[in-house]
Amino acid sequence: MSSDYEFSDNEGDYYDSDEMMDFQNDDQDEDDMEMDDYNDDFKISTGSKRKSYEVDHTSLSQTSVEKSMKDDVDHICGILGVEPAAAALLLRHQGWNKELLIERYMDDPAKVLVDSGAAVQEPARDSTSIRTHSVDKFAAGPSSRRATRSSSKLLSSLTSPTRSSAQKYISSPTASASKSRKDAKSSEEPESFVCPICFDDSLELKQIALDCGHSACSGCWNAYTISKIRDEGEHCIRCMTEGCAIVAPDDFVHNILVSDAAPDSDTTENLVAWTRFQEILVRNFVSSNPKLKFCPYPGCTNTVSCPSAASKSVLTSMVPIVSCGAKGIPGSVKDKNAASSASSSGSSNSFYDKEHVFCFGCPIESDHRPVVCGVARLWLKKCEDDSETANWIKSNTKECSKCQSTIEKNGGCNHMTCKKCKYEFCWVCMGPWTEHGTAWYSCNRYDEKGGVEARDAQSRSRASLERYLHYYNRWANHEQSAKLSVELYAKTEKKMEDMQITSELTWIEVQFMKKAVEEVEKCRMTLKWTYAMAYYLARGNEKDLFEDNQRDLEKAVEDLSELLESPIETENIPMLRQKVTDKTVYVQKRNEIVLEDTATGFQDGRWRWNVSVDGFEEPLEEVRVD
Amino acid sequence: MSGICRPRLAEERKQWRKDHPFGFYAKPAKSADGSMNLMHWEVGIPGKTGTPWEGGLYKLEMIFPEDYPSKPPKCKFTPPLFHPNVYPSGTVCLSILDEEKSWKPAITIKQILLGIQDLLDDPNVLDPAQSDAYTMFKNDKIAYENKIKKQAQNNKP
Repeated sequence: MSSDYEFSDNEGDYYDSDEMMDFQNDDQDEDDMEMDDYNDDFKISTGSKRKSYEVDHTSLSQTSVEKSMKDDVDHICGILGVEPAAAALLLRHQGWNKELLIERYMDDPAKVLVDSGAAVQEPARDSTSIRTHSVDKFAAGPSSRRATRSSSKLLSSLTSPTRSSAQKYISSPTASASKSRKDAKSSEEPESFVCPICFDDSLELKQIALDCGHSACSGCWNAYTISKIRDEGEHCIRCMTEGCAIVAPDDFVHNILVSDAAPDSDTTENLVAWTRFQEILVRNFVSSNPKLKFCPYPGCTNTVSCPSAASKSVLTSMVPIVSCGAKGIPGSVKDKNAASSASSSGSSNSFYDKEHVFCFGCPIESDHRPVVCGVARLWLKKCEDDSETANWIKSNTKECSKCQSTIEKNGGCNHMTCKKCKYEFCWVCMGPWTEHGTAWYSCNRYDEKGGVEARDAQSRSRASLERYLHYYNRWANHEQSAKLSVELYAKTEKKMEDMQITSELTWIEVQFMKKAVEEVEKCRMTLKWTYAMAYYLARGNEKDLFEDNQRDLEKAVEDLSELLESPIETENIPMLRQKVTDKTVYVQKRNEIVLEDTATGFQDGRWRWNVSVDGFEEPLEEVRVD
Repeated sequence: MSGICRPRLAEERKQWRKDHPFGFYAKPAKSADGSMNLMHWEVGIPGKTGTPWEGGLYKLEMIFPEDYPSKPPKCKFTPPLFHPNVYPSGTVCLSILDEEKSWKPAITIKQILLGIQDLLDDPNVLDPAQSDAYTMFKNDKIAYENKIKKQAQNNKP
């Protein structure tokens, strides 16, 4: 841990590799009971060899992140010789940057303690004596009432000495309200405690104060703490007195909410708030460490550690798609066993129990491979800006190019047959399907020759819109088709189940459809993003090769998609099964080729764009896309 | 804090009646049926003597949320005031009235009102809430002062 004392140039980069090892070891160090949890929920099943488009990452449960937080706190306790509660507040205030904290603390311990809310601002005459939090201080229950002492403390705190410090924290001009009526109140009734928040003065009232001595009743503390946690998501809960900056340590919050909660408070609400508080602490820790990212899926409390994607500069050479290992939305499925039994019985909701896949490098909460974050962001921004136009031009329906009857697409495949005139065409390019079945398949490549002819500005802008729409339509189409194929699967699945009962086939033999739909969905996601990539790729051989790969994948996916739509009869099942399985394997291969090729391309810096993208070379072409 | 809100406001009312700063008034609004609505106060803040605000009594509404005092009341000048830190709606922008800034449950109504009074002649240029008053305050102090004096004239009690 010697490197902890060295200052690195990069402020964010203060976690040395030893600590990252700790993260991984934590999982193994846990006792058996927890071990099971990790195995089921959090471990990533990484294949035997890592593909170039995959990134090494570890999933951490909330407990293991809490453990590394505790390690940091203990470390600081050992070095600075402060209580754990104070150390935690100090670290939170310094964004968990231990070097910075130690440096600042060595400079001026009193100031750092006061700034982080771990100690009271003492009057100037004795600035060296700083009171830190002690855990049992506020445990004074109703039996050991110190009403007189506390109210005098309260009195003194409200008059002159703390005024000066109060003004320090409140920038707004309220400090002139120097004579509080609470003074009058307490001086009138010096023997009984009156809560300055709710003005309750009943004898059974339990008074609680942080180290600053500003007392309030337990009910008020409870309501205030819950409101701070629940409504504001705040982990820094300061004293309720005006201008007092002292922060409640974790044990205090625990006492208020759980172990010593006000008798009339709602136990469930208290527990929810306490759980949320712990989660907020973890989030705070995770967000201050660039090597960690909190899973963005709703209700998920896992963290992913991905040291190789910690700096922004690597995002031009890799797409750090990670998974926290969990699936589905907590609450919708009660526990892990229920989820696995549901999927094994072939329940249709197994598709909605999606694995928590997200990008470590940018806020996109899905797999945007093969395209890098910068370009994906450009594309999404473009779609957002132009989507109204696109929607206006491309409505939900299309017209048959032969008989002009309006057609709505309700299946996953692009091979359309007009109900009325039986004309077969491609949904995407509206061209005749006969050209697609053979080597003439050219649906994925935009014919840029038309753009050259465009001389005047008007037709140029029309060409640029048309170019955008070419890519956008294919992008949107794959997204929709992916959804439709999942829907189709839900319908098919029922049929497969029936078939399993009526025919000789075993459960395992009818699973090929599920596998195929999964693959189709995955590949359509890849295809979707290849169009975003192709839109921004600079013209040239590299782009042609990319589009060749794209075309091969698209062709394979469409074939498989069509196969999935074919009618299922008991007699043709074995044949269908053979075909679908073969196609699935082929599609999988094609998808890997696309991902592999683009990933190595990024590593080699092979790709050139037609717009300027952060971290990449400026485009060479004189013709740029807006 | 619904359980705390009303007793606290009742006590605030009691304390205010017992003692309040000169020139101010603050009372819970009357509902249509004549009953008192503790959650909604009507108050008046006088401009400080020796400032362009002198002579005016500025009417303000205080709307208390159910979770007061965990959350601050909303303070709104009616009609909206010409002041850099008052929104066009009349709402006052002040750090002690912001739960994410300096609001603390222990801050009393009296402290709030004195705080707003201080703000009148001491606007915070880092936190402008309306462009008219802010631009004039920044660019033409004399015109601004005249406008404030005129406003004081129009707000005589």
